Amino acid sequence: MRLEMNKIVMEFGPVRAVDHVDLTVEPGQILGLLGENGAGKSTLMNVLAGVYTPVSGKILVNGQETVMKGVRTANACGIRFIHQELNLCNDLRVYENMFLGDELSKSKVFLDRAAMTAKCAEVFRRMKVNIDPEAIVDTLSAAEKQMVEIGRALLFRSELIIMDEPSTALATAEIENLFEIMRQLKSEGVSFIYISHKMPELFEICDVYYILCDGKLVAHGNFADINEEQVTEMMIGHNLHASEFENHVSRATEEVRLSVKNLSSGILKDITFDLHQGEILAVTGLQGSGRDTLADVLFGVESFTGEMVVEGAVMPNRAGDRSVRRFMRHKVGMVPRMRPERGIHNDLSVQDNLSMGYLNARAKTPFISARAEAERFARQQKAMAIKVGSPRNPITSLSGGNQQKVILGKWLETDADILLLDNPTQGIDVGTKFEIYRLILRLAEAGKAVIVFSAEFPEIRNVADSCIVLYKGMCNARLSREDLTEKNIMYYSTGANLEGL
Amino acid sequence: MEKRLSADTAKTLGRALTREYSFVLSFILLVIIGACVNKNFFTWSNISNLFVQGSMIGLISMGMTMVIGAGLIDISVGSQVAIIGGFGILVLNKTGSIFVMLLFCIAFGLVLGCVNGLLVTKGGMPAMVATLATMSACRAVVNYYGAGGPFTVDKAIYDRFRQLAVGGLELGSFKIPYLMIIFIAAVILFDIVMKKTKLGKHIFAVGSNEKSARLSGINVDGVKTAAYMITGAMCGIASLIYASRMTAVAAASAAMGWEMDAIAGVAIGGTSMSGGRGKIMGTFLGVLMFKIISNILTAANVSSYLNGAISAAIIVLAVLMQNFQNKRR
Repeated sequence: MRLEMNKIVMEFGPVRAVDHVDLTVEPGQILGLLGENGAGKSTLMNVLAGVYTPVSGKILVNGQETVMKGVRTANACGIRFIHQELNLCNDLRVYENMFLGDELSKSKVFLDRAAMTAKCAEVFRRMKVNIDPEAIVDTLSAAEKQMVEIGRALLFRSELIIMDEPSTALATAEIENLFEIMRQLKSEGVSFIYISHKMPELFEICDVYYILCDGKLVAHGNFADINEEQVTEMMIGHNLHASEFENHVSRATEEVRLSVKNLSSGILKDITFDLHQGEILAVTGLQGSGRDTLADVLFGVESFTGEMVVEGAVMPNRAGDRSVRRFMRHKVGMVPRMRPERGIHNDLSVQDNLSMGYLNARAKTPFISARAEAERFARQQKAMAIKVGSPRNPITSLSGGNQQKVILGKWLETDADILLLDNPTQGIDVGTKFEIYRLILRLAEAGKAVIVFSAEFPEIRNVADSCIVLYKGMCNARLSREDLTEKNIMYYSTGANLEGL
Repeated sequence: MEKRLSADTAKTLGRALTREYSFVLSFILLVIIGACVNKNFFTWSNISNLFVQGSMIGLISMGMTMVIGAGLIDISVGSQVAIIGGFGILVLNKTGSIFVMLLFCIAFGLVLGCVNGLLVTKGGMPAMVATLATMSACRAVVNYYGAGGPFTVDKAIYDRFRQLAVGGLELGSFKIPYLMIIFIAAVILFDIVMKKTKLGKHIFAVGSNEKSARLSGINVDGVKTAAYMITGAMCGIASLIYASRMTAVAAASAAMGWEMDAIAGVAIGGTSMSGGRGKIMGTFLGVLMFKIISNILTAANVSSYLNGAISAAIIVLAVLMQNFQNKRR
């Protein structure tokens, strides 16, 4: 199948997420779609899926203009999506998930369980993975779930498969296996759009590259004609250089702010580290490595065993209604991951969102002073250059970057000394990203202790004094700034150092 | 320049009226219709009567605004009024003190609200299911104890007790009914709580995004329970008023279907049915609108048996309008 996307434009309120992008996929071609987070890759793919209706632009399938009315239209055209976040119903069985919406039936009424499981088993055999079609999805590992998603695309007639960072949850061997399947399908004429941040993979599997930056298509061509450095340059954009962060000065002092000893919780096993005043510590690891859990534990959202001392006070092991507030009183603040779901209150104004932390941690009376609220907002707006029409506007009227600044401001107003930044630049445009990095460095300079939870190497490289790499819940390495390379992080986060054991 | 400024102000005002304060527009519209149908609409007796009729639902709606604002629902309010009113009359007859009855009613309401809150928070039950259970249980218990006949206020305190419902402050030729004063006082108090206190902000924060609220250190379970308890307390006060107006509580029929009326008042008032947004002033006007509509229908000889259908229609219309506005946004 030949797919063409012509001059696609997509806007969210004031933000133009995709700006006149052209893209062509030939039959049997693997296209690598690159760009930083927030460059517009996922938005473009959602336009293709019909999840968003573009402001302007055309989609041509085999030369015919097609209006994507939803995933069903796309599926009917032979386009299949494998999403970054797993779209599986955890309570259902594997085969039920794979056939969801396209169930096989006997005489059009009763489900044909035998036929469905048989077909699933066949697909898994072809993929060389060992998953029981009858298993409940909840019992599978993240990698297995990913395989189920991929299997789902193979189950039906697919001419174009879109994979949004499929390898994040996979180990090296599993990725090799995936590539083998892809090559075989490619020889059968199936094309792919492959979205990934991992350069070696892209160079190995993809034929052509398309690079998005700030919603615009900045370059496209054959992978054979370029090298990794050139790609990175084009991705980051012309005017922004990471070089300003190269002369990194650590502001860490001797004073310990946060100390964790033999901490375990859920997947996390035996984590021990100290965080000093002025230090910027990065925590990284693949999805499911316990990175998210560690962030939650350090803010009293999840219970843990072991010992945690914050500014001299031992924190309670059990997470309850009041534990978060207790951490806040000891001057811990957290900018949570997944801002839309966990960070902001859609219905509330910008100012109310900013005040939410202060009211809990520090306000002495039950009453709220409108003047103090306005002052607090004005102070943070000035300090961080938050672009906003009126503090009374709903927070959803701001761009992602400005929303994030509001949330950061919320914690600065609580006078937090320890800041946990969980994926702080998720869904933020490149320009604002750099602003946030500068802000993080400034906070450390002012004596705050910062932990940045992140999976993006450039981000870690730009701000961190050192980096903890988690693998299956263990602290697999603590890399100092000198050892901070993308290769090292991949090496330790995939557990490659333990494979020989 | 000046012209442009005033045009801008008019534009923002217009937008505010059509979006955030659309309930004010509907209120004005209804008042005009009311005035056309009823020649005596603008007389003091009619207006004060509206307030008196709306006072009980009004008080409950204040609490309901909190509950719905926190993303929950309470369908047990009608049964709560019945059970608190029934036992409240027993307390009144025994002690002969209206004050003791008031304390009892509020305390009983707080307990029922607390039960609702705990079922929802600690029990992890959906709000609809939890309050459906308390609704059924309360009605059954009051039916059991009221099987021998309605709970009736003793003759000895009857006259004094009735003053609450029929009496009022005499200001020259005007008489401001006590119930109107209580209603307006409650509206002002709730408005302050929702706008100017942490509790108010926290209620909307929880209704808007529970996860985020938890990560901001808000005691989510505490806020939810508080909303239910306040609603319970308001049911307690409403049941005292009910007892005073009716001088008897018939277990099976007292305050039947009030949950629908209270939710309707909140819905027309523009509070988001999924929580996070709302205004006490909206609920206040919403309750009055509801009463104006029933008055118009009574004047038009529509059977009172259809009341339930009317509140249902109002809720559906109000929520459809909300959804339509949200989509446009």
